Amino acid sequence: MPLIRPKAAGAPASSPDPRTAPDVAALKAALQHGTPDARRAAARALAGVPEAAGLLAAALAGEEDIRVREAIFTGLAGLGTGECADLLLALLRSPDAGLRGGALDALAAMPARLPARLPALLRDDDPDVRLLACGLARVLASDEATALMCAVLEREAEPNVCAAAVDVLAELGEPQALPVLARCAARPGAPAFLVFATGIAMRRIRAASDRAGEAGA
Amino acid sequence: MNEDEFRRLCDFIYRRTGMVFTEARRYYVERRVTERRSATNTASFAAYFARLRRDLDGEVEQFINAFTVNETYFFREEHQLRCLSGDLLARRIEARPAGRPLRIWSVPCSTGEEPYSIAIWLLENWPMVDAFEIEIVGSDIDTRVIEAARAGHFGRRALMRLSEPLIAKYFEPEGPESWRIIAELRNSIDFTTVNLVDAAGMRAHGVFDVIFCRNVLIYFDDASRRIAAENLYDNLMPGGFLCLGHSESMSRISPLFDVCRYADAIVYQRPREPRHG
Repeated sequence: MPLIRPKAAGAPASSPDPRTAPDVAALKAALQHGTPDARRAAARALAGVPEAAGLLAAALAGEEDIRVREAIFTGLAGLGTGECADLLLALLRSPDAGLRGGALDALAAMPARLPARLPALLRDDDPDVRLLACGLARVLASDEATALMCAVLEREAEPNVCAAAVDVLAELGEPQALPVLARCAARPGAPAFLVFATGIAMRRIRAASDRAGEAGA
Repeated sequence: MNEDEFRRLCDFIYRRTGMVFTEARRYYVERRVTERRSATNTASFAAYFARLRRDLDGEVEQFINAFTVNETYFFREEHQLRCLSGDLLARRIEARPAGRPLRIWSVPCSTGEEPYSIAIWLLENWPMVDAFEIEIVGSDIDTRVIEAARAGHFGRRALMRLSEPLIAKYFEPEGPESWRIIAELRNSIDFTTVNLVDAAGMRAHGVFDVIFCRNVLIYFDDASRRIAAENLYDNLMPGGFLCLGHSESMSRISPLFDVCRYADAIVYQRPREPRHG
């Protein structure tokens, strides 16, 4: 039979000895100056060191290897601290679309850190940041997300940010969003795409609430 | 469920699990929702959807279970085994250094049906099987199922997809409804414990040509799924393949892998060369 039992397999699965602290200085040097494989290995090793969050985030700026970037984003999401969330939020202002997208995905993986940060982000001066922040509301409970998105629609002037909020409401909005959506669609000069999207969101929310009413009757 | 409810549910399922359902599978989705509403005694779709979104009493896992046949048996998802023997191994032997065995990993392997299926499938269906040394490793986080896998006792249900000649060839009857896989196969496969999110434990298993990691990542939260994807990447040789369950998608989890579409299955490949962002 050609099947062979692995010679080295069966090695016990084990984590590193917690008493052996990683050599952060050496890992920092590898992260900054190593080959792509060495940088990725350093990023993965530093992902177990909460104090290294700033180091990891700083390395993203000049990093072009997608594997290293991914390891850093995964590391920051895995650490999941408030500092990590703030470092990732800062990347939403990056001109690099890869960094913005990576930061968004990583932030979506740390939902516990978002409720305290999203309200301010949704009032950011930069409409691009406000737009991206709307997407992050999807990881919240539907009542929280509905309240936040409704508040956005009541004050927001930028149609694309409104559309992002409407998109979230179409997915998880609750009935209290209906009058807010109606006002949004009725705004003078509301662009056609926003009126269309608002109509879909209202239809979906109504359908869900009508069914709930029927079932409760 | 009306169209709008269906779209809302599909959006939620996609964001939570990466599973994609189109209108063509609406009946299938509706059946599962009806089952879960009945099981949870939920009066309306809206009430059930709220329960799902809040993950009350672990409803997300229950819901996913309803979509994935949460049982294991020999030759489950046979199309992936056809892909293994028909496409993947041919690609791997092109890239293989002389003298190195082909390595295949089944993780999680539960009670052993998958790694034993891979062994039987290759012995029966891969014409090159005698030309190479093949190592198959089965791993799981649960030490009890690993012990069961090593013991190799199976009932009729686990063997339902196997022909009588295959059962006669690879199993020894133990009773009217129970069989034991032959010692030669039991002794050919190494069974170990591993946690998919433990980098050191995963690394200790070395690198593989093909990894089967089916129907487990959908149960992880986003952060754990990303870590598992990084670990699986490290456990693949450059050019090696990752096979997920039929309802899973790595594209939703990580950009590290290339999508490969073969006649029998969609699989994910670790690129041979690093890519730039």
